[in-house]
Amino acid sequence: MEYKLEERWRRYEKIEFLGEGQFATVYKARDVETDNIVAVKKIKVGSQDEARDGINRTALREIKLLQELHHPNIIGLLDVFGCMSNVSLVFDFMDTDLEVIIKDTSIVLTPANVKAYTLMTLQGLEYLHNNWILHRDLKPNNLLINSDGVLKIGDFGLAKFYGSPNRIYTHQVVTRWYRSPELLFGARMYSTGVDMWAVGCIIAELLLRVPFLPGESDLDQLTRIFHTLGTPTEQTWPGMTSLSDFIQFKSFPGTPLKHIFTAAGDDLLDVISSLLMINPAQRADCPTLLQMPYFANKPAPSLGAQLPLPASLSQAKATKVGTKRKTNDPSSVVQPKRLLFDTSM
Amino acid sequence: MEDQVCPRCRTTKYRNPSLKLMVNVCGHSLCESCVDLLFLKGSGSCPECNVPLRRSNFRVQLFEDPVVEKEVDIRKRVLKDYNKKEEDFTTLEEFNDYLEEIEEIIFNLTNGINTIETNKRIDQYKKENRDTIMKNKMKVGRTEIELEELLEIEKQMDEVRKMDQLREEVETKRKKMKIKEAMIDELMFSQGDAKDIVNTFQSNLEEEMKEQEKIPDRTTQFSTGIKFGKGSSEFAPYFKIEEGPLFTYTPPEFVYEGPDPPKWNHLRPYLMHVRQTTIDETAGGFDAAIGCLRALQEACAGLYFKNT
Repeated sequence: MEYKLEERWRRYEKIEFLGEGQFATVYKARDVETDNIVAVKKIKVGSQDEARDGINRTALREIKLLQELHHPNIIGLLDVFGCMSNVSLVFDFMDTDLEVIIKDTSIVLTPANVKAYTLMTLQGLEYLHNNWILHRDLKPNNLLINSDGVLKIGDFGLAKFYGSPNRIYTHQVVTRWYRSPELLFGARMYSTGVDMWAVGCIIAELLLRVPFLPGESDLDQLTRIFHTLGTPTEQTWPGMTSLSDFIQFKSFPGTPLKHIFTAAGDDLLDVISSLLMINPAQRADCPTLLQMPYFANKPAPSLGAQLPLPASLSQAKATKVGTKRKTNDPSSVVQPKRLLFDTSM
Repeated sequence: MEDQVCPRCRTTKYRNPSLKLMVNVCGHSLCESCVDLLFLKGSGSCPECNVPLRRSNFRVQLFEDPVVEKEVDIRKRVLKDYNKKEEDFTTLEEFNDYLEEIEEIIFNLTNGINTIETNKRIDQYKKENRDTIMKNKMKVGRTEIELEELLEIEKQMDEVRKMDQLREEVETKRKKMKIKEAMIDELMFSQGDAKDIVNTFQSNLEEEMKEQEKIPDRTTQFSTGIKFGKGSSEFAPYFKIEEGPLFTYTPPEFVYEGPDPPKWNHLRPYLMHVRQTTIDETAGGFDAAIGCLRALQEACAGLYFKNT
């Protein structure tokens, strides 16, 4: 069935409200045509000023970039439609995200799980970087995961093409905890290093299960970075002092990563240390990283079905299978309250 | 405990890892900083139920659910008075009834059912049984005695083990000395080759060391009933998860529909004609090669494209 441009919204049947962000509300919906479950992101009209410009900038970025990107580890933009004066984007439906999994203490993350998540993130990111796109907002919250255990990079609201020699960029990007030192020092020309740093912080968070560098302000963020990794000098990071927001910090020696990640193997520590290089020129990029021994070594990355899901989701999955059995289960009948004591006590 | 939230300021454990929830007699929790703020004067009222509280009564919340915390608190208080033991009753039936009564009182107090009446009941019980309560407080219960015995045994075992170890150490030292002496004697008086003698002694020594390693490990019984030591192999069942294939890297392929653009390592001739990066751009992680490579890729892409 062909839909007219202004009637495309009819194709999606709203199921439930999922959440609300700064720029958009997200609904779970069913695609009537294919019967697939999708996520519909309805962009808010926002202020009068923005409305006059035509369309919200983050939405424009997402549409512009995602329409041309197709990779198993990048969120798929399935459709875009307008209804009245606002725009809605249709995405693959994702059940949860990495932040939920990290925070759920009932989930045990095995080394194979960590490797699988890291691999999927890096493969998605390699594809982005190869297409000259910086994500600029990588964090566990934006790494979406579906019930098959596939991780997809989402939220391209801050993503941008990189590699233009004469265009300057804002350094006010990336959630602070995942922001690299060059951004914190106000660099206006940067490269893939900003995303790589964030990946380093995410791997660290997968291992520690708490944010690795939870800075309370931009200054505190830098202090934490240098405190754990050591203060850089003009020798280890040439040009550092000429960055616009440079401040001289007390020189910390830094802690060996082995003492922070006591359970990580040497091959994983190599990966982390090459991602958390203070000097962005020395930071590894995706291809070099993916060729490091950690990824080829045992244990093999978990298959999608073996990756953990939060309790609420896995329960929902289980009940779908066995709802019938529950009704004639005698143990589900509530017993009258009565204390029973064993005579052997 | 991850999703602890302070009901007043809404801080979570995730945002503030040092978050400490405190709880008072009313069973409503507050985070440490809120307690500091609200109870500056030492006393105040609970923001949730307005019950007057004293700051000194705030304790760190141990359980996720503050109601559990409250129940534990009440149980402690009630059990201080209701401290009869099984020995105090003639039949099991009576003891069971008594335990049930305790549970009922605790249940009533935690859920605020008939609070005044229940408190009266406790007071009455206290008056009636003052002597037994005092007596039981003095007398250590049977369970406590058992626990102490276990601890005593543990201590003794520990000492025995220590002594054993010391003795063993002394013995090995003596043995080593003896062997050494024998070797020196042999070297002094025998006619054989000195190297041979040293070698045979060395191998003898090694064999002995190996034998000693074979001494079986003693398992220790702890009061918790968990067996420690190398000897026990009954660990939790180990189940192997089927493994996927190991990862091998294959560089992604691109369809340029044009001549192959130069790679990273062939950029040098082009870079001579490109503006060099300034020092602060280099420090930010930008490199002239990045811009150059992108421009070349874009120049090549789509040159052979034919619209069919």
